Amino acid sequence: MLVPGKIQHIICTGNLCIKEVQDYLKTLCPDLHITRGEYDEETRYPETKTLTIGQFKLGLCHGHQVIPWGDLDSLAMLQRQLDVDILVTGHTHQFTAYKHEGGVVINPGSATGAYSSITYDVNPSFVLMDIDGLRVVVYVYELIDGEVKVDKIDFKKTTTATHSAH
Amino acid sequence: MSKEIVKEEAPSSSGVAPAESPAFASLRGLQWRINLGILPPSSSIDDLRRVTADSRRRYAGLRRQLLVDPHVPKDGTSNSPNLVMDNPLSQNPDSTWSQFFRNAELEKMVNQDLSRLYPEHESYFQTPGCQGMLRRILLLWCLRHPECGYRQGMHELLAPLLYVLHVDVERLSEVRKLYEDQFIDKFDGFPFEENGGPCNFDFKKFSDSGEDEIGSQGNSKKVCSLDELDPEIQAIVLLSDAYGAEGELGIVLSEKFMEHDAYCMFDALMIGARGSVAMADFFASSPAAESQSGLPPVIEASAALYYLLSIVGSSLHTHLVELGVEPQYFALRWLRVLFGREFSLQNLLFIWDEIFSEDNSPLDKVSEDSDHFSFKLLNSCRGALIAAMAVSMILYLRSSLLATETATSCLQRLLKFPESINLKKLLEKAKSLQILALESNKTPLSSAFGGAYNCTKSQMSSPNVPSVLVSPNTALSPLPDTYWEEKWRVLHKAEELRQNSSGKDTPSPSGKKRWAERVKFGLSRTESCPSPAREEKCKRDSHSVRRTLLEDLSKQLGLEEDAEKGGCFEASNLEDHHSVEVQGEGQNCAIKESLCTTENRCENRSGAVVCEENSSFFPDPPSPPGCGINDHENDTEKSSVASNLSVDDNDDLQRRSPEDSPHRVSLPPEDVSPSPLPENESSGKTSSTKERRNLSGKFQWFWKFGRSNVEETSDKRGGTNEAAKPPIHDGNRSTADSSATTASSNPHPISKGDTMDQNKMGTLKNLGQAMLDHIQVLESVFQQDQGQVGLLDNLSKNILVGKGQVTAVTALKELRKISNLLSEM
Repeated sequence: MLVPGKIQHIICTGNLCIKEVQDYLKTLCPDLHITRGEYDEETRYPETKTLTIGQFKLGLCHGHQVIPWGDLDSLAMLQRQLDVDILVTGHTHQFTAYKHEGGVVINPGSATGAYSSITYDVNPSFVLMDIDGLRVVVYVYELIDGEVKVDKIDFKKTTTATHSAH
Repeated sequence: MSKEIVKEEAPSSSGVAPAESPAFASLRGLQWRINLGILPPSSSIDDLRRVTADSRRRYAGLRRQLLVDPHVPKDGTSNSPNLVMDNPLSQNPDSTWSQFFRNAELEKMVNQDLSRLYPEHESYFQTPGCQGMLRRILLLWCLRHPECGYRQGMHELLAPLLYVLHVDVERLSEVRKLYEDQFIDKFDGFPFEENGGPCNFDFKKFSDSGEDEIGSQGNSKKVCSLDELDPEIQAIVLLSDAYGAEGELGIVLSEKFMEHDAYCMFDALMIGARGSVAMADFFASSPAAESQSGLPPVIEASAALYYLLSIVGSSLHTHLVELGVEPQYFALRWLRVLFGREFSLQNLLFIWDEIFSEDNSPLDKVSEDSDHFSFKLLNSCRGALIAAMAVSMILYLRSSLLATETATSCLQRLLKFPESINLKKLLEKAKSLQILALESNKTPLSSAFGGAYNCTKSQMSSPNVPSVLVSPNTALSPLPDTYWEEKWRVLHKAEELRQNSSGKDTPSPSGKKRWAERVKFGLSRTESCPSPAREEKCKRDSHSVRRTLLEDLSKQLGLEEDAEKGGCFEASNLEDHHSVEVQGEGQNCAIKESLCTTENRCENRSGAVVCEENSSFFPDPPSPPGCGINDHENDTEKSSVASNLSVDDNDDLQRRSPEDSPHRVSLPPEDVSPSPLPENESSGKTSSTKERRNLSGKFQWFWKFGRSNVEETSDKRGGTNEAAKPPIHDGNRSTADSSATTASSNPHPISKGDTMDQNKMGTLKNLGQAMLDHIQVLESVFQQDQGQVGLLDNLSKNILVGKGQVTAVTALKELRKISNLLSEM
C-alpha cells in the first residue's frame, strides 16, 4: 500500500531509532519531517517542528516532553504555543484524534505496533491526511488482526468549532 | 478580444456555404459544425437547435461520468463508501481514487501542452477560463478514447475550434447590440418590455448602423419583425433565441455551452465521423488494422504526400529523396496538427474552412487483397485536399529546397514555413492538386506503386519504404544490395528477351553486330555466374564520389526530369512534351537502337550512381525498344513494377558494365531513352572494354544524328516528339523488341526530326550543359573504374582492358563535341 509517488509529505513524530527506518521512509517520499523521540539515535532531529501545507499549519512533536503523556489539555497548550492548526504527536502508541479549540490534535499511533509501557494491545497504525484547500480528510489505517482497516475523518478549517465526523 | 473578431478579408475561395444551408458564411463555428457532421446540413433552424441540444446533453453526461472527484461525496450514496477499497492509498484500480490519480496524470500532461498553447494569442488562449475548458475537453476525450490516449498536438487541433466558437459568440453579441429589440425575450410571442424606456433609448443609439432598416428608423419605436432582417442576422437571432426549440440548451451560438460544442467538434474531427480522414489515426503509432501497407497511418499518409509530389514535381521529389529527407520528418507535424503550426491563426482558419468544406466520405472501399494499393489519405476529398495542400506547400518552397545541399537545411526550410505567404494562391494550387490526387489514387499507376511496394516491402525497413516506393521510376535513394540484385535479375530477363528479338535485326553500324554477339555471349555467360553481385559491390565504392557530382547535375536537369517524369504519370502535367512522347514513339528505333548499343556500353561503365542520375533523366516511359510496336504496352508496362525495375536495372546494368563484363551491356538497341545526352555522357565514361571501340564508331553515328536532329527542328512527328533528344536508348528498357523497328528506323532519324520547339532547344542546351558535367564526372570516375576493371571475371575483360583506355578517351572527346554542339543550339 505504501508505494512511492503517492504521498507528498511524511510527518514522523519520532522514535525511528535507527537510520535505516529513515531511509525507508525517504524512499516513499523525499519530503520527510521528523522530530526527536527519546530513543532516536540520530541526535540532530529537532524537538518540535512546524510546517505549512496548503492552508494548514502543522505542528510536530514527539510528545514525551508534554506531561502528562497524551493529555489533551497539555497538548492543546503546545498547540497554542506553536500556533498551528493541526498538531501531530506520538509517544502513546495509540491512535487518537481530537478536534479542540479550532484545531486538530492527531496521534497517529505506532507505525510498527512497538511495545509501549503505557498502552496495552498496540495495533500498528498510521494516518493519511488529504489536505484540500480548507478541508482535511484524515484516513486512518490500522492493522487489526492481520487486516487493514480504514477509517475516515473530515475536518474543516473554520473559526467555529465543528464536530468531527468520526 | 473584439480586435480578433473574424472580420478580415476572406480569400475568394473560402467562405463556402453549402447551397442548402442559410448564410452561415460568417459564422465559422456553425459552418464547421455542419461540415464536420455534427449538425445536419439541412436548413431548418429548429433541427439545428435540436441536434445541438442533443450533443450538449451527451457531453454533459460524459462529464458527469468521467470527471471524478472523490472528495465530493456521490449523490445518493448516503452510506459511507467502502473505505478499504476507496482510500487514497488503495491500489485497487476500480477505486475512485485510482481513477482520480489517473486523471491527474493525464491532466498533468495536458497542462504541459496547454501552457504553451498559442503564446502569440495569449490574451484569449491563456485565460484560465479558456484553459480550463480546453483541459476538460481534452481530458474527457482522452478518457473516452483510452486507446488513443493524449498525444501532443491534440491541443493544437482543439484550440482553433474553440476559438471559432468564441468568435461566433462575439459576433452574436455584436449583433445583439445592433438589433437589441430582436433579442428581447419574446415568451410566447409577447415581448416583455419591462424597461421600455432604456430599450428604446439604446435602440436610438444604434440608429445609424446603416446595415439595415432597423438602423434607419432610429427615432421611431417601431420594432421590425424578424423577417425583414438580413437572413444572416435573422439566423443569428433565431439561433440564439432562448425560447426556440429546446430552450436554452438549443441556443446554437451560446457562450455557456462553448465547451460542449467544442468537444463535439473535436470528437468529430478526431474520429472522422464515418469518413476516411480521422485525425486520431495520425496520432496512432501502430499500423491500422486494415492498413494495406502495415505502416502507421501517419507514415502512410506521408508516403501519400511524396507520391503526389512525385507526380507533380518529380525533380523536387527526387531531390528530397536523394537527400534522404523522409516525408514524415516534416509531414508528421503538418498532418497531426492540420498545418496548425505552419500558419498564423487567421490563415489557418481559412485553410480549415477549405478542408472542412470537403466531403470526408470514403470514395472507394479499400480492399485488403486487391493489387490496387491506394492511400487511405487520398481516399476522400478531404484527405486529398489535405495532401494537396501539403504538396502545394512543398512546391511553394521549391526553389529554396532545390538549392539545399543537406537534409538538415532542407528540413529547416520545410519546418519553418514563411510567414508572409499568398494564401489564396496556395489554396488554389491545393485545389488543383486535389483533383490530381484523387485521380492518381485510382489509376493503375497506383497498382504499379503498390506492386513495387509489395516486392520491396520485405526488404526495406518501413521508414524507407515510402521513399523507395514513391517514385516507381526513379530509384535514387541508396538501397541495399538485395534491391540491386533483384533489379538486375529482372533486367537480366528482359535483356534476354530483347536479345532474342534483336537477333534478327540488321544493325546498321557494323560494330553493332559484333557487339550484339558479344552481348549475347556475355549474357549467356552471366546467367550462370553470380558475378553481378560482385560487380555491384565493386561499384559501390565509387558511388559516393559520383553521387555528389551527380546531385548537382540532377538539379540542373531538374527541368528535364520534370518533363520526363511528368509524362510518365500524367500526360497533362508534362512541361516538356518530348518526354511524353517518348513512350509513344517507336520509330526512332533504328537510330536509337544503334545508339542504344553504344549507350549501353557506355553506360555499362558508369557507376551505379551515374545510373541513378540518368535514370532520373530517362523519361519514365522507357522508350519502347522496338519503337512503335508496343508503345502503348510499354506505357502500361512502365507503370508496372517489372518494367520499372527492369528499367532501372537496365540503367544500372549499363552502368555497371564497366566493371561487369561487356556482356552486361543491355542489348536492345531498341531501347530508347528520352535523354540520350546524359546517357551519352555516361557512356563516354565507359572504361576499357571492347565495346569502346564499337562505341567510338557509334558515337560518330550518333554525333551525326545529333547534327541532323538539330536541323530537324521544325519537323513534327505526329504526336511523338521525343526525338527532341535524339532517340537515345537507354539501354535495356524492358520489353521489347526492337527488331522490326531497327531497320525501319534507319531512314527515320533524319526525317523524323521531331518537333524542335523552343522548349526543346532550351532543354537541349541544358542537356549539353549536363553532358559536360557528366563528362567531368566520368573522367574523374574513370580513374576509379580502371582500378575496378580487374574485378571483372568475364572473358572480355581480359581482352578489353588494354584497349579500353584509348577507346574511352576517344569516346569522351566525342561526347565533348556533342555537348558543344548542343550548347550551340
